[in-house]
Amino acid sequence: MNGDTRQTTGAGTAGAGTAGAATEADAKAGTGADAKAGTGAGTRAGTEAAAPVGDDGTGHPEPPVFAVRGLWKVFGPKADRVPASAELTALSPAELRERTGCTAAVRDVGFDVRKGEVFVVMGLSGSGKSTLVRTLTRLIEPTSGSIAIDGEDVLSMDKARLRELRRHRAAMVFQHFGLLPHRTVLDNVAYGLEIQGVGRAERRARAAEVVAKVGLAGLEERRPGQLSGGQQQRVGLARALAVDPEVLLFDEPFSALDPLIRRDMQEEVIRLHREEGRTMVFITHDLNEALRLGDRIALMRDGRIVQLGTPEEIVGSPADDYVRDFVRDVPREQVMTVRTAMRPANGATEAEQGPAVAPGATVSEAIEAVARSGGPVRVVEGGRCLGVVDDAALLAVVAGVPAQEVAA
Amino acid sequence: MRTSRTLRTAVAVAGALGVLSLSACGAADTGKSSAAGGDKTVKLTVPSWVGAQANVAVAKQILEEELGYTVKTQQMGEVLAWDALSKGDIDAILEDWGHPKEEKQYVETKKTVVKGGDLGVTGHIGWFVPKYFADEHPDVTDWKNLNKYAEEFRTAESGDKGELLEGSPDYVTHDDAIISNLKLDLKTKYAGSEAAQITAIKKYAKAEKPFLTYWWTPQWLNAEVEMVEVELPEHEEGCDADPEKVACAYPNTPLQKFLNADFAEEGGEAAEFLKNFNWTTEQQNEVALMIAGEKMAPEAAAEKWVKENEATWKAWLPQK
Amino acid sequence: MSATATTVPKPKPKPKPKPKTAAGEARMRHSGGGPREALRRRRGLLAGGGALAALLVLGAVLLGGGTWPAGLTADISAPLDAANDWVVDNRDSHPLFLYFLLHLSNTATDAVDSVYQVLDALGWLGVVAAAVLVAWRAAGLGRRGLRVALTALGAFAVCGLLGMWDATLLTIALMVVSVAAAALLGTLIGLAAGLSDRVDRALRPVLDTMQVMPAFAYLLPFVLVFGTGTPAALFCTVIYAAPPMARLTALGLRGADPAALEAAVSLGANGRQRLWTARLPLARRQMLLGLNQTIMMALSMVVIAALVGAGGLGEEVYSALATTDVGKAFAAGLPIVLIAVWLDRTTAAAGDAIGTSAPARSWLHGGRAWALVAAAVAAAAAVRTTGWPDAWTYDISAPVNRAQEWITTNLTFTEDWAREFTLWLLNPLRDALLWLPWWSVLLLVAAAARLVGNWLSAVTATAAMAAIGVLGVWTKSLNTLSQVLAALVVTLVLGFLAGVLCARAGRLERWVRPLLDAMQTMPQFVYLIPVVALFGATRTSAIVAAVVYALPAVVRITTQGLRDVDPAAVEASRSLGASSRQQLFGVQLPLARPALQLAVNQGVVLVLAVVVVGGLVGGGALGYDVIKGLSRGEMGLGMTAGIAIVCLGLVLDRVTQRTSRAPR
Repeated sequence: MNGDTRQTTGAGTAGAGTAGAATEADAKAGTGADAKAGTGAGTRAGTEAAAPVGDDGTGHPEPPVFAVRGLWKVFGPKADRVPASAELTALSPAELRERTGCTAAVRDVGFDVRKGEVFVVMGLSGSGKSTLVRTLTRLIEPTSGSIAIDGEDVLSMDKARLRELRRHRAAMVFQHFGLLPHRTVLDNVAYGLEIQGVGRAERRARAAEVVAKVGLAGLEERRPGQLSGGQQQRVGLARALAVDPEVLLFDEPFSALDPLIRRDMQEEVIRLHREEGRTMVFITHDLNEALRLGDRIALMRDGRIVQLGTPEEIVGSPADDYVRDFVRDVPREQVMTVRTAMRPANGATEAEQGPAVAPGATVSEAIEAVARSGGPVRVVEGGRCLGVVDDAALLAVVAGVPAQEVAA
Repeated sequence: MRTSRTLRTAVAVAGALGVLSLSACGAADTGKSSAAGGDKTVKLTVPSWVGAQANVAVAKQILEEELGYTVKTQQMGEVLAWDALSKGDIDAILEDWGHPKEEKQYVETKKTVVKGGDLGVTGHIGWFVPKYFADEHPDVTDWKNLNKYAEEFRTAESGDKGELLEGSPDYVTHDDAIISNLKLDLKTKYAGSEAAQITAIKKYAKAEKPFLTYWWTPQWLNAEVEMVEVELPEHEEGCDADPEKVACAYPNTPLQKFLNADFAEEGGEAAEFLKNFNWTTEQQNEVALMIAGEKMAPEAAAEKWVKENEATWKAWLPQK
Repeated sequence: MSATATTVPKPKPKPKPKPKTAAGEARMRHSGGGPREALRRRRGLLAGGGALAALLVLGAVLLGGGTWPAGLTADISAPLDAANDWVVDNRDSHPLFLYFLLHLSNTATDAVDSVYQVLDALGWLGVVAAAVLVAWRAAGLGRRGLRVALTALGAFAVCGLLGMWDATLLTIALMVVSVAAAALLGTLIGLAAGLSDRVDRALRPVLDTMQVMPAFAYLLPFVLVFGTGTPAALFCTVIYAAPPMARLTALGLRGADPAALEAAVSLGANGRQRLWTARLPLARRQMLLGLNQTIMMALSMVVIAALVGAGGLGEEVYSALATTDVGKAFAAGLPIVLIAVWLDRTTAAAGDAIGTSAPARSWLHGGRAWALVAAAVAAAAAVRTTGWPDAWTYDISAPVNRAQEWITTNLTFTEDWAREFTLWLLNPLRDALLWLPWWSVLLLVAAAARLVGNWLSAVTATAAMAAIGVLGVWTKSLNTLSQVLAALVVTLVLGFLAGVLCARAGRLERWVRPLLDAMQTMPQFVYLIPVVALFGATRTSAIVAAVVYALPAVVRITTQGLRDVDPAAVEASRSLGASSRQQLFGVQLPLARPALQLAVNQGVVLVLAVVVVGGLVGGGALGYDVIKGLSRGEMGLGMTAGIAIVCLGLVLDRVTQRTSRAPR
């Protein structure tokens, strides 16, 4: 199973790669939503509601919120020729710059963002993730490729339609907040509505609601300069929420904040997602943040997606050495679910007695259960026993040794 | 960029509209019509030197107190004053030291300015040395001996030649030509303004140092620093015709008054009075000294003089 | 000639923070230098050096030495004088005048008159109340507002006490109209330049010229076209004062927080919305700084405006000169300084108040405070006071004259200094410049500009230098250049010294600040006489005047530059046991190099700005020609000299400005 879940969207195989992603997710049948790491058992139940609905493999899949195919963004002189030329696309970034003076920030990227999911794009600085998120609403014009929102082609939109998209359907939260220092908190939050042409009284009323929702009640008349970083980003978040967009785009929204405040804000996003189920695209360079928030994670390097999958897949079966290196220090027991460590029950006793955990429970929770019971623990879903986990299998996960080897 | 295009269009439209709206109101008032006529306002230019300020102060005093006019004064350079006079921005120049080019342009060609007669004061330009130096070296007052004393006039600025101190660029001077044509061992030094020249002269005088300067009478400073003129080759009619070949002294200039043509015709009593205005060098100096030497306000000086010299100015009033 | 010529040239804003978008990242990466770049640069320099040597030999053989060849000159005075005559002949009849220019001229006069009448109707109590309360409100109420309000009160009280009330009002009326017009013009230009790169590039030389071209040079055509008095003075002031507004507006628009702008776009704002809700409000602080500079520049034109009959304080200064009455000139100059201080503090405080304000708890905020101000002013005006009461005046001219007298009598060594300075620095410098063959001067300029900047600056500088020759004012320009260089050296030596002292002793700076303000805003005409009394009617006097004028900016920029040095670096050197001297020379000065370079550049611009004033005290050369052109009505002469000054400015700017002109 491990081998199959891995997928990469390498050059020229974008379509195939994303198609693969869908199939693979189908196979997992809804478990993806439970794969959130680090949110604890309590929140996990809540996120269930936000599980992708379009890909349960039974009904007609809804079109993805964003469908991106073969996307390129090249900066530099005569950027157009780069994606078109097989010779140039094969070059490494350094070679490309040497040859053409161009920099490819996004190279042949494809993925789907499903309705209601938190889609995280993760990568180090310079990996092209910020450019990528900006091409979604054409804040940066992509060089080639296609983007569709709810099945509608974004690249062929005229100016008015594009404005309409930005005003109502996708709102963005920025790393550096991008607040207007001369306006009060309330007017900053109402700014998007003002641009839409909503009347003053109404927009202020609506903004006041959102301000309360993000926990800034009482600070409405302050100016951004009088707020802490975390509060400012709450304003940024409220501004995006105020326009009630279909999808929220986050561009490294918390990387300028202190660790503790960052954690608060992550909780805030999880809470909002749980309450509203809004689709989110979340850019980050912080692996822990990605693992905490993401339903699925696209890991970028040098403009390409190296691996796309659930946190569990990325941690459990890294696509290459780069990813492996990346996730090495991740506490695996908090990301991996018991599904990974599960083996078939040995006979009826094992299958019917003893404590039970859900298949989406993390290994660390299973370890706790095993430690309490002293023996193997059943993995139960809907009253049916899927298998059992024992101390050896769980230890293997923590140690990063493939389960098959242990079983063998 | 879209914004910039919109903006450019907007600016262009605004500009065009502005021009249109201006033009729409028709031809503008050139300011001439208000220059003359019965509103009993007279506009005079105040030149930068004190003698001329004395003229204006006294004329103003009499026009306002005796004839019931309001006098507005405006300070400006001489050539600018000519131009303003032609436009009717001012009504009269009371002391002109000779501007042949402007006289030709405005009086003869455009006929917007008319002569207003002599001021009564005779101006004279020349080269002067301080009296204390002339007393010591009496022969310095002949230009032929200037080379002998050139060394005495030397400064760091003039290098190995003697310095001839010049004044404001306002003043008519042929000194560079005179120096070269008379083969004098001198070099001009342009002080750049009358104030700078006067200050420099005062400085020399205080230290009793020798100096040679372009200077003129009447001038209030002459009462404070006594100076003696150096005699240049005598002035003959036409010897200064070619500015390059001048090798003679400056002429005596009877200072002139000039009036705006419309004002001269329609200015009524004020125009009449200004045409009659005529006083002597001594009288002007008296007022000038009060202003410059005693630092009295020009108005106060004029008031004092008017009080003491009724006989003189009664004659200037229009005959009823 | 970047930014801000006169007054308070604050250091240029630091380079924008690196764009944080991925696009920015990508761009940064691809523009990086690297060893190849360095190699190419070195090769370029070598090639340049080789070419220079070759040209030197070639020049010596082909062109010979000496001054600019007469055959290579072009006389522009004839057409200029012809244009002059055309204007005089046609201005009463030509439609361009009747339907356009005269309307402008009449509107200007009416505007200034009506402002003056309003001020006059307010009475002295009303004017003082308005000044004080507006200052208080604009400075954001509170303690800061109170201090600024007190400044305003003091300034106006002194203006009244000096017996200059009416002249002050006239000057303020002219200021109000010209600053409003300059701000409007500057904002429009700044908008265009801020939104379009092409316009920005095209406008930069225009703005440079507007600022460096001496006002004396274009005063004459304006007088001819618009008439003496208010209109010509007004339009000249607008031209001179608009550039900082334009520059800083453009800078503000360009420097607006990219994140906020991007946020606006991401929310679907269209161009107009972006401009009105984001760009302009974000640029407010810079624009207010621009307004501040514009006001200061406009004030510096007050005396020059008096030359064409605008009246006001300038006329008082100017007429005091005729009787060499320093005291009276000082009494008229002091109000100009005080108005400058009042407006500077008020606008600066208003700028600082932006974004930080909203003391929401107080009942006094926003419109309510303005209403209170308006009501109080109306109440004060209702008292129906007239001009400042005569009984409350005090004549300071006698004591000032006595002080002047004492100083000039007792400081006799100044004359010897002036002579030594002339003999040992000024004359050799001038003679050396004149001795150099003309083509080698061009080569020198080219080489210096190339070393400091790039090929483009070398070409510009050389072309400007050649233009001077073509204009036929080579000798005079080199004479002026020698004075400018000497003044620059003195300014920099004194300025750096004072700057270092101020940076190291904060108290000293606070103490020196009003003095610097006064040096910069006091009209040079006021200290013309004392300077001549001390140094004679010599080039040294011209240089002293320039140094007095340029010194404050150099001191300020140096101080600020040293203060802004990364404290971590200073701390590190201290932790290594560096002595205070070692800290200064090893860390602070090297790190403050960009600021020091800016100081040099500003020094050049400011020294050039007073070349004309130098002409008034014995500087001769180009400055004298400009004044002569104006006072004799010879437009050709004045404009030629003016253009030559602009060219000198270009040369010196390119030779001193290292960083900001890299080609894009």
